[in-house]
Amino acid sequence: MAVAALPDTLIGELVAICGEDHVFTGRSALYNRARVPSPFPVHRWDDHVPQAVVLPTSAEQISEVVKLANRHRVPVVPRAGGTGLTDGAVPQRHGIVVDVKLMNRILEIDVDDRTVTVQPGINMLKLSEELKPLGFIYPDNPASYPCSLVGGRIGTSGWSLIGSRFGHTRDLVISFELVLPTGEIVRVGDGGGRKIRKSSTGYQLKHLFMGHQGTLGIVTEATLELVKRPEAEFSAFFAFRDFTSAWRATAELARSGVATLAGVVLFDEWKLEYLRRDDEAYIPQPDWVKAVVAVAAYGLADEVRLGAKRLLRIGRDADGTYLGDEISQGDWASRHDRYATPLHGRTPGGQVVPMSWHCEDASILWSKLPEVRERWHAIAAGLRERFDLFDDWGLFAYTNAAFKPWGDYLTEIDIGIWEQRWDDESWAAWVDAKRELARVAIESGGSISACHGACREGEVDLVPLELGGAFEVMKQIKRTLDPNNVMNPGKYLLDGAYE
Amino acid sequence: MIGFRLAAQKPPEVRRITDDVVMRFEHVYEVDPALMSEHVRQQDFPAWETQRIVDSRWEHLAWMHDHFADSVVSGEELLRELEAED
Repeated sequence: MAVAALPDTLIGELVAICGEDHVFTGRSALYNRARVPSPFPVHRWDDHVPQAVVLPTSAEQISEVVKLANRHRVPVVPRAGGTGLTDGAVPQRHGIVVDVKLMNRILEIDVDDRTVTVQPGINMLKLSEELKPLGFIYPDNPASYPCSLVGGRIGTSGWSLIGSRFGHTRDLVISFELVLPTGEIVRVGDGGGRKIRKSSTGYQLKHLFMGHQGTLGIVTEATLELVKRPEAEFSAFFAFRDFTSAWRATAELARSGVATLAGVVLFDEWKLEYLRRDDEAYIPQPDWVKAVVAVAAYGLADEVRLGAKRLLRIGRDADGTYLGDEISQGDWASRHDRYATPLHGRTPGGQVVPMSWHCEDASILWSKLPEVRERWHAIAAGLRERFDLFDDWGLFAYTNAAFKPWGDYLTEIDIGIWEQRWDDESWAAWVDAKRELARVAIESGGSISACHGACREGEVDLVPLELGGAFEVMKQIKRTLDPNNVMNPGKYLLDGAYE
Repeated sequence: MIGFRLAAQKPPEVRRITDDVVMRFEHVYEVDPALMSEHVRQQDFPAWETQRIVDSRWEHLAWMHDHFADSVVSGEELLRELEAED
């Protein structure tokens, strides 16, 4: 694909804004910022390589870069940790990647009003390490906890493993400053007031500028919740003889009313089959174990112990078998850090091949989980029948609502992909499969994504179907705020706003 | 001179656990080498290297627990209390 050359003066102008040491045009700097961990067409890597990378150190620098991009009509793509699973940080039209990793400072800790204000390049694990001596935690806890960054969490409106207790990114971010697609710097919150949690003044713009996958601006500062560090953690994994019993137990646990409950997870038979094959915690499990339910709780030590007893009773009364402390504590701890897990999959003949972990997510109502599970696995089986490069690693469902662990579930089917084997035919089949997975989610009354976003090839085709008339509003907002379509163009079918 | 010798760190012989899995050290599972013969090859590991990886894993999990809470409550202990109460 031909790439329009950058204007001759642009690199020099970027250097004038950010400094010589903060502008990169070398091959490794560009190619390493072309992809994220979501399935990526490695056979067409060149299609997504940016033409320049800048690592700014201030909001003012980012503002000037964005204004420059508008003058030259060059795309700008924001990038934080680059750990997203829906391509938000992948350049669709090349251009300039604005990487915020150098903006990683804590600007203020306000113990009195319980806020911490940070730059977007800080990571949650590092932030919580700084907060620990003060007795606090920032409990935004994705599976990429050690490597994703606050700016990306806002850009994707991330989901947290312990969100049912502490809330998700949207609940933990009080307000933030961002550079709009035309370069102005504004702050958005519930209303005004950098540290105000609840306001009825004006439009609720905080939510508009969360989860836009970099299409509406670049976050430059955020004021976050400062949460008391839990005294105690409890996690328990229960084994079940069939999926239906586990599914019912999941609801019993989620609806228990235990205030310290932070999440409930359901693993299906396909997941167990995969884990029993390739995960040391599950290999020794007996054949009767067909599904697993996990719970986790956090809080004051006496509250956690009391709640944990209630949860253990519920699990036991639902015919669940406690799998022991080693699995319960070890497996739970590993869920904070899934990106560090080296992975392999199997060909249909059982041979080990190097595979990347990919999970396709949706928001699914508890009542629809059995039906969606069957339909999703059928789609995965269709892929595996045609191509050796896919492996079905099973499904899990995770309590999805903030502060109230019931109702809908973040539901994911994990599919191993042997990415070195991509070609146009297998990529097209994958895109078709993604579209069908999304269709099942919508047909069941769910949403295409609970966590990752929905702007990749395939699934994005159904965003207008899910949003209905609201998608036209989305296009009008995009065109109004980004008149030149420079801010991460090509995402979410938003080019249609300019036709 | 004392140097590293692979022969002195030879892992124990494998025991079959399932159709797909073997074991050399207690609770340390390995993919059956026969299933790693076409696309990915198993490497020879000295015993200390396997032990280091396993120990590091436990250290990592403890470190991760410590990021979220001061203590971890034992389900086994609570279950014993529940049984005593019943």
